[in-house]
Amino acid sequence: MTTVTENTDKPAKFVPGQPDMWAFVLFETLVFTAYFGFYLFYRTQNPELFLHSQAQLDLRIGVFNTLILLLSSWSVARCVQSARVGAYGPALKDAFLTAFFGLVFLCSKVFEWARQIQMGNGFGSNDFFTYYFFLTGIHFVHLLIGFVVLGVAIYQLRSPVRRSQELVETCATYWHTVDFLWVLIFALLYVVR
Amino acid sequence: MSAVATATASPLTRRHNPKRELWLAWWTLVVFYNFFFLVFFVITRVQPPPNPAWDTPRVVQWFHDNHFGLLAGFAIMFVITGMTTMSNALIAYSMRRMSVSRAFAYSYLILYSLSAIPGMLLMCIALTVGALRPDRDPELIYWIYDFAFLSFVGTMGVFLIGSLVWMLAILIDKNRVFPKWFGYLNLCNGLTEIVVSPAWIFRGGVLAWNGQIAWWLDMVVFGIYTGVFIFLLRQMIQREDFGAGPLPELSKAAR
Amino acid sequence: MIKFNKRLLVVWLVLASFTLGYLWIDHSAEDHAGSLRSSAVVTSSVIVIALIKVRIIFREFMEVRQAPVLLCRLTDAWVLLIAVALLGSYFIGTAIR
Repeated sequence: MTTVTENTDKPAKFVPGQPDMWAFVLFETLVFTAYFGFYLFYRTQNPELFLHSQAQLDLRIGVFNTLILLLSSWSVARCVQSARVGAYGPALKDAFLTAFFGLVFLCSKVFEWARQIQMGNGFGSNDFFTYYFFLTGIHFVHLLIGFVVLGVAIYQLRSPVRRSQELVETCATYWHTVDFLWVLIFALLYVVR
Repeated sequence: MSAVATATASPLTRRHNPKRELWLAWWTLVVFYNFFFLVFFVITRVQPPPNPAWDTPRVVQWFHDNHFGLLAGFAIMFVITGMTTMSNALIAYSMRRMSVSRAFAYSYLILYSLSAIPGMLLMCIALTVGALRPDRDPELIYWIYDFAFLSFVGTMGVFLIGSLVWMLAILIDKNRVFPKWFGYLNLCNGLTEIVVSPAWIFRGGVLAWNGQIAWWLDMVVFGIYTGVFIFLLRQMIQREDFGAGPLPELSKAAR
Repeated sequence: MIKFNKRLLVVWLVLASFTLGYLWIDHSAEDHAGSLRSSAVVTSSVIVIALIKVRIIFREFMEVRQAPVLLCRLTDAWVLLIAVALLGSYFIGTAIR
């Protein structure tokens, strides 16, 4: 699909990264949406339990987590743009920054889980906490994969022999998915009433 | 179905119908999955799985109700289990055709050969044992029931690793044997296998071995995945030129 | 390139504001006694806001804005699909109860 424009400043339309990764992103989003649908449905069947259990979560940690991941999306988006104009030094820095933010999220999550378990809320404690640990857990797995993906991007950016823009964009697309899935999980677990 | 001999002539291309074994493997794969579906879903009725939260008398009742189905269905499985070797071999072949190390193909073969035992045969054996002696102590029957379904649903680890091996091979491959999105679909499949593991803990709810997430949603993903790879394997055989370079696209290769 | 960087930062600030907005929603969702109440209004608005954020991430961070029309339409369709699925599950569940 080419864009018809007389304005030469407008960039040509392009698919960021491999279209294959987009297919994966859309598919995984459907799967997660199914998980969310089940969660919301069962929440309505037992609102008191869910409300009371939810109150044991700390909203501020959730907000912090979300801001951190949004920051990581910002840094990886910047990385892609830097790489596009050939500024590989800054791009590499941004990629490491993204990994750093990811690490902060990871530590924060583990800390939060430990705290919940200490408070006596485990995976099988009640329906709400089953969903809580399940959703944050499967998201955590996606985050771990995200580190591998960032590693691929960094590997690409490091050496002039590689530096495939398409691959860097593909990695960024995956990372953004980890971010927006968390945006949804945060809203559903921490804020929804 | 003769192949056009391209650049380097492998001994196979000089033979009449060099793709014969590949097609045999593919059709065996298709026939096997059809039997699998028939046996597990229709004859033995072990899929969708019965309730993990049943008490002992109810479980004994289930064995009684399904007595002949269990025996007949799993007898068929014992006979046709050998077909899985063709399926695994074909997938390993696809990795041999790729530009990646042969280690991928061999790892996959070993993993999936081993995985048939916990992933399918243990349940067939356990439930057959349970059905063959209906007068056994009910507590033992209950134990067999638990063992069968937990081993079937809960031993996803091997399949998960196998999916990752195939995924990695596909993503690194330069011969374009499979599209990259199929590599990612392997990841989706692997991830749903992680999702099944809570079935060890839960005896009810969405994450139990018959739960909406652990079984139903997983079956949807697995069904899509299986359908897709059967289709792509067929395409691979159609495109096969027995060379070592990139696989030609479908329009150029002779079917 | 400075222009792009500023845009990305603005995008992050918008997303962060929406996120912080949840704190306000959470505070106002409790009644005077501080007790918990389930509310369809709160839930719906929270979901809608989350999807607005997701769409912004799609269009700005994931560069769908500069992508071919097909991708724009697909991601928009997905946002709509998620909205229908989530709100649907919630309201059907509420109705059945």
